[in-house]
Amino acid sequence: MAQKTLVALILGSALALQGCKIVKTPAPGATTTATEQGEAGDDARIAALLDRTYDAELMLLVAERALPVADLRAALTVGLETAGATHGNKGSGEGAAWNFAVKGEGRVIEANLTSRARKAMLDTDGDGVADLTLQLGPVIKGTSLRDLAPFYRFGDFRDQIEFAKLARALNDRASAALQVPDGDLTGKIIRFSGTVDLRSATDPWLVTVVTLDTAP
Amino acid sequence: MNLNRRHVVGGLAAVVAGILPTLSFAQGKGVIAIITPSHDNPFFKAEADGAAAKAAELGYEAMVLVHDDDANKQSQLFDTVIAAGVKAIILDNAGADASVAAVQKAKDAGIPSFLIDREITATGVAVSQIVSNNYQGAQLGAEEFVKLMGEAGEYAELIGKESDTNAGIRSKGYHDVIDQYPDMKMVAAQTANWSQTEAYTVMESMLQANPGIKGVISGNDTMAMGAWAALEAAGRTDVIVVGFDGSNDVRDSILKGGIKATVLQPAYAQAQMAVAQADAFLTSGSTGVEEKQLMDCVLINADNAAQLETFALKA
Repeated sequence: MAQKTLVALILGSALALQGCKIVKTPAPGATTTATEQGEAGDDARIAALLDRTYDAELMLLVAERALPVADLRAALTVGLETAGATHGNKGSGEGAAWNFAVKGEGRVIEANLTSRARKAMLDTDGDGVADLTLQLGPVIKGTSLRDLAPFYRFGDFRDQIEFAKLARALNDRASAALQVPDGDLTGKIIRFSGTVDLRSATDPWLVTVVTLDTAP
Repeated sequence: MNLNRRHVVGGLAAVVAGILPTLSFAQGKGVIAIITPSHDNPFFKAEADGAAAKAAELGYEAMVLVHDDDANKQSQLFDTVIAAGVKAIILDNAGADASVAAVQKAKDAGIPSFLIDREITATGVAVSQIVSNNYQGAQLGAEEFVKLMGEAGEYAELIGKESDTNAGIRSKGYHDVIDQYPDMKMVAAQTANWSQTEAYTVMESMLQANPGIKGVISGNDTMAMGAWAALEAAGRTDVIVVGFDGSNDVRDSILKGGIKATVLQPAYAQAQMAVAQADAFLTSGSTGVEEKQLMDCVLINADNAAQLETFALKA
């Protein structure tokens, strides 16, 4: 009798296990309304997250934390880890870059406006040599906009796909807002703010631009 | 029924045969099981080697097993290692959905699992899930591919094994970048199941149907090697090939001017990290880190290929 019960219990628990349903943790931005769970609802969830956080939190964060180019360069001479801990935010995971908000102005030494990933190489210290590159879109590389923000955390997202979609949506939002003047940029003065990700203190700077002004 | 049973017995015999050569009986902190896909792909061998080396360093015995991407075999292996009383399991799993039950089974038996390379679709079952940021890596590979292609032209994509979650993630990462370039035209996309020989055949027929192909982006390095061999055989070494994994084979091809780029997943270091976390968990009850952890990938091209060795970049 006891044996039979045991067998039944084992069978029962085996069946219960097979019938287990995996319930996913709702990602940020998920509401109790009609937003779809899983990958099908990613775009809607991320759009809602951006509406809530892009201007109110992320742009505010960039504006508040942006260091002048020269100040960030000076901070980096002490070392990336120290500069990062003081001024930046590290992306999720092993080997992730430090991300900084930066602002400045400089003369365009060279520009590529024919690529889908338009770029302007800027001289910000007046030595006639370009010392950083501005990304002018529409294709923006990297995830520094997302990874600058401590409030976008990998662990809050379903998986790396949803987390990556956030980065892409942020890049798209930033690039869509940029007014890049027509014609040759070479020689023009550009004032900008944006974000940069660095894996070493000596990495070349590739800046994701969020604000841009040009002077003749 | 008979057939079924014979299959199971056969499977167990294979399991036992697989264990014996790598399991010795020295006293230590116990045994850590290391279960990965077949070592035919050097990537998985690097994982197993990295984990085994770290286990030995920390005073454990390593029990190295392969599931051949077969979820049933993986389930049997879990039964075996649970019965053997291993202290922890390092797993590169055989399917994001199918593996949840196996990992749960180990957890129920009091054995913690530490996942590497591939995610599973549940959290709170494994102690750690350390995965390469495949999406980020795919974006790096795609950016290089687009640059090499001059942002325009016909290309083909070789996709990995469907049951492997990373096949889909990489493909999405590739397209996230490439599809932003309207002059890049994908003329063929097909799975070659991570297989070099299959990729050779697939590439041959893709070339016949689409002689205008200018580039091939591949979900991993073994398929990239197969595609490159087919391109060489067809006299089409002008075609730009980009892979993923960072294998020594592709490194050598890059250095000889064959395949143009790949993306390194730090497989060896990742496996070592998993064992270190297993040790921390076993000795202190906590890994001290979150369950899901990403590791960034690194673009490998002619500039840095010489520094690549066994899925690690030398400083």
